Amino acid sequence: MEMLYHQFKRRVFGMAHRIVGPNDAEEVAQEVFVRVFRGLAAFRGDSALSTWIYRLTVNASLSHLARRGRRQEVGDETLADVPAAPEVSRDPGLAARIERALAALPPGYRSILVLHDIEGLSHEECATILDCRVGTCKSQLHKARGRMRELLGPIGGTSQ
Amino acid sequence: MTCDDVRPQLTAYLDGELEGDRGSAVRGHLRGCEACRTTANDEAALRDGLRALPTLDAPSGMWAKIQTQLANAEIADSEQPRWRRVLARWSPQHWVTPRLALASGAVAVIFCAWAWRAARRDHDLVPRSALVLPQLPQVPVPAPTPTLTTGDVATEIAALPKATSDSYAAAAAELEQLATQARTSWSALQQKQFDAKVAELQHDITTSGEGRPRQRAYRVLIRYLERATTRDEVAFADTRGTP
Repeated sequence: MEMLYHQFKRRVFGMAHRIVGPNDAEEVAQEVFVRVFRGLAAFRGDSALSTWIYRLTVNASLSHLARRGRRQEVGDETLADVPAAPEVSRDPGLAARIERALAALPPGYRSILVLHDIEGLSHEECATILDCRVGTCKSQLHKARGRMRELLGPIGGTSQ
Repeated sequence: MTCDDVRPQLTAYLDGELEGDRGSAVRGHLRGCEACRTTANDEAALRDGLRALPTLDAPSGMWAKIQTQLANAEIADSEQPRWRRVLARWSPQHWVTPRLALASGAVAVIFCAWAWRAARRDHDLVPRSALVLPQLPQVPVPAPTPTLTTGDVATEIAALPKATSDSYAAAAAELEQLATQARTSWSALQQKQFDAKVAELQHDITTSGEGRPRQRAYRVLIRYLERATTRDEVAFADTRGTP
């Protein structure tokens, strides 16, 4: 059990951190591992164990956001419209800007970016975790990146 | 290829998911279009930036907290009433698995197919003649019989003897005609006897009462005329051997 925890702790905590934010990440990660260990006997092996654990993580994070949203009466759109935090000007690093833009995204877009771009999962795995079709997953990723670019403004990359 | 065609494909292109001509077409457009090239550069930088984000490590005390939560959950399980544990075991999330749902669906389909076949078999047991009426030839519909009253029936019954006598008379007249044709081959004596006998029998008819007696008299005359026309010996009993 402990081995399983050490194998997945970084990814589970990382996903939860980026979807729900730093304050609630540990609480969500704990909830995920408790669910994993209590439900391990009932795990049917329909998908890979990692996919199942990531799915539990995303679902727990989104549920947590929904509960928190109800408590704070803050919707996704409100979150997305929150102006950039004042720390932006003090932190010129791209990684920090990206983290802030990510936090301002709606949870759905945030989930697909975390799974595909940050955790590097394939579209098939993302589709299984998010319980949608691969085409929907690709389309959501395109929209999420577009929204991120809007929030970040020109990045000045030289990839071509 | 326009910018509107290229923009939706940029994500797939940058992730290396566009192959062959489609990838080449997007690349060709990017060479000539600065706006799309900037967008593509920004998206690629964003993608690289996301990939390069540092891996976050879980807090050091998290494992201990998880163990505590698991222990608390087990204690809560043990304190739960037995009926709740049984109920939890039978809750839909435990037994309605996709496989079970699929199996139930298959059983339902098989049952419906069986019921349908059984219904068809019962249907086939009924003779087809009972199901499809034969095409009968068109039969003209008889004119409706006029309704008879009690008085009409009595009149008809009363008229029956006379009708019978009339038909006898008609038969006798026909036979008499035949006999007239046949008498040319008779002797004079035979003709004389025949005339006398016919006169006698007709007299009996006219003197007999209406109904059965007259019919009987007619039947005697008819029998005699039949014998005479066929030259039966009885008709000329007293002239045997001299036709």
